[in-house]
Amino acid sequence: MDNRVSAGSAANAFERARFTGTASEYFGIWIVNVLLTIVTLGIYSAWAKVRRNRYFYGNTVLLGRAFEYHATGKQIFIGRLIVFAFVIVANILAAIHPLFSLVTTVLVLVALPWLIVRGLRFNARVTSYRNVRFDFTGTAGGAFVCVMLGSLVAFLSLGLLAPLASRWLNRYIFNNLRYGNRPFDTDPKVGALYRALLIPALMVVLGLVILAGLVAIAVVGMQANDPGAFEHDAAMLMIVSGMYLVVFGLIIVYGLAGLIYRAAVHNIVWSSTRIDGQHLLRSDLSRARYAWIAISNVVVTMLTLGLMRPWAAVRLARYVAEHTAVRIEGEIGEVFTQFQTTGAAIGAEYMSMEGIDFGF
Amino acid sequence: MVSDAETIAKGEWYPPHSSGSVPARLLSRGGRLLAVTEEDVALSDSAAGELSFTPRVGSIPRRAVFADGSVFESSENDAIDAFLRGGGRSGWVHRLEEFHPRIFVFAIAVVLLAVGIYRYALPALVEVAVFVTPPVVSEAMSYSALNTLDSTALSASQLDEARQAEIAARFRQVAANAEGGAGRYVLNFRDGGVIGPNAFALPDGNIVITDQLVELAGGDDEMITGVLAHEVGHVEYKHSLRQLYRAAGVAGLVMLIAGDVGSGVEDILTQGGGLLALSYSRSAEAEADRRSVELMRKAGMDTVAIARFFDVMETKLGDHSRTSMLSTHPGSPERKQAILEYDRILRQD
Repeated sequence: MDNRVSAGSAANAFERARFTGTASEYFGIWIVNVLLTIVTLGIYSAWAKVRRNRYFYGNTVLLGRAFEYHATGKQIFIGRLIVFAFVIVANILAAIHPLFSLVTTVLVLVALPWLIVRGLRFNARVTSYRNVRFDFTGTAGGAFVCVMLGSLVAFLSLGLLAPLASRWLNRYIFNNLRYGNRPFDTDPKVGALYRALLIPALMVVLGLVILAGLVAIAVVGMQANDPGAFEHDAAMLMIVSGMYLVVFGLIIVYGLAGLIYRAAVHNIVWSSTRIDGQHLLRSDLSRARYAWIAISNVVVTMLTLGLMRPWAAVRLARYVAEHTAVRIEGEIGEVFTQFQTTGAAIGAEYMSMEGIDFGF
Repeated sequence: MVSDAETIAKGEWYPPHSSGSVPARLLSRGGRLLAVTEEDVALSDSAAGELSFTPRVGSIPRRAVFADGSVFESSENDAIDAFLRGGGRSGWVHRLEEFHPRIFVFAIAVVLLAVGIYRYALPALVEVAVFVTPPVVSEAMSYSALNTLDSTALSASQLDEARQAEIAARFRQVAANAEGGAGRYVLNFRDGGVIGPNAFALPDGNIVITDQLVELAGGDDEMITGVLAHEVGHVEYKHSLRQLYRAAGVAGLVMLIAGDVGSGVEDILTQGGGLLALSYSRSAEAEADRRSVELMRKAGMDTVAIARFFDVMETKLGDHSRTSMLSTHPGSPERKQAILEYDRILRQD
């Protein structure tokens, strides 16, 4: 019987996931999503999100079966409506008196761990594979420590403690993740994560040295010309364009280093993750290739006024899927869903509006 | 007994809440739908009305849940569509999405709609929003803005009373001809601190001028009045309120169309929105410049006094960096040119 997830004949071999979607097929879905969203003044965007996610989940195939996304447009719409109403009220209050913006900021910060948990749980519970739903069992306290304190520590240490923060975050996510009644667990090694930081850190240091050098050359050159050069418009122009060069240079250097680091951490975390204590996951993204795909996707999307976005999205999804693999140890047996309701989509929608996206 | 039924599609059958799937077929018989194994052993059986198929998206597998919670999953989308069409149910969204020449029409429609909303609907919405905004909102905004500035950048003016009275008297002369009369506008003197030489208008009619600007003008009081007339223009045209609504509108438009644009592109679009707001602020400056010429003319003062202000800024403020008026009011030579031009046109009439 082939009704069980099993290693079959190729025992102890990793099997790669596949992405079966195509750019032309997704283009149709995407353009209709955009069109209906405009025509309905944004209301359709909730249903558009469902169709988009169903397309990407449903085309991610592991061991011959696809994932499925179960959220409904109505759930997403209500979640968005509540978040949107909150943002509008907060903005009106802030315009009336600056003190109100302090109150709403504190309110959001206090509610954030709870929103993160609800968001992660919603996203897990609307995802299924082989008719079995995922689940997330983390607590708000864990979210506060691992997500919020972790990112604060990484930020305050100028990235030097980022590997520790990555470890907390991913342990929190994966150790609380369930596939039906089977738990996930992960324990990425701090040493490996620090090695992942090595190249990005070198890139940042080198980038800063080059930028500082350019600025120094410009300043020296200007003073050699004429000590009082700052009076002139040309000097003014040079200072302003120099500032832009530094700002954009910093964005590019940090953005690139961030992409490389993210790919390396993804590999380490996924490759140290197990399901049910025995089935292994593996990820082998090439850092350079991942960064290249991400950057060229942005450039191509901009140059084509967004029309190549479907191609870019499919290209990235295919690359990530093809570099993710699983090894089933013996038989996985029959997995059961512990059936639970998904709850409201408020947390998930708040996070996706803030640009925080924990996809699976 | 099962063999006389019509086979809809082949796929997999899952017991309720379980991953233990079995290859199966979906059959339709006498108003009921059945899942059966390859050996025709019945697995599940529900009335046709109780089963709903997940809508078709691309070519991903679709699912139908039986009354007992078991699931039939199949990738045979066309076969399921053919069956559903017989029952009058079918996914019209999916048919729109199919790769067909009309998809290019959709693409063109999206581009035209986006441009049309930006060019026509957005300005109209801004006008409506400005029109329905009660004065209390502008007052509250102005009150909090001035309070914030007073507690951070600004401090009490160092100018003596007589000098303040001189400037205020000229200001009342130009404001008398403005919308709402002189009573609508209140002139405030402040020490600019880090803001430096500057003058700005708050939406409720409060206008702030810094000591540094008075100092920069030397004894040229008509020039100061010209700058203040420009600020009166900002209040009359409700520029700050318009700009606020416009920025909100552009952000909303990006969110509306973008949906799925990718994280990198979203950042770039946000920056682009800032640039668009800047280009709007330039046209607002030009509008206020022209209003300055008109108001100065009505008050019988030197109509192009504000143009001299640009000369002063170019010569004396060359070394002030981003905090000076240079950055918020770009292109002084062009603006000077436009003011002289407008003055000439008014004289000809």
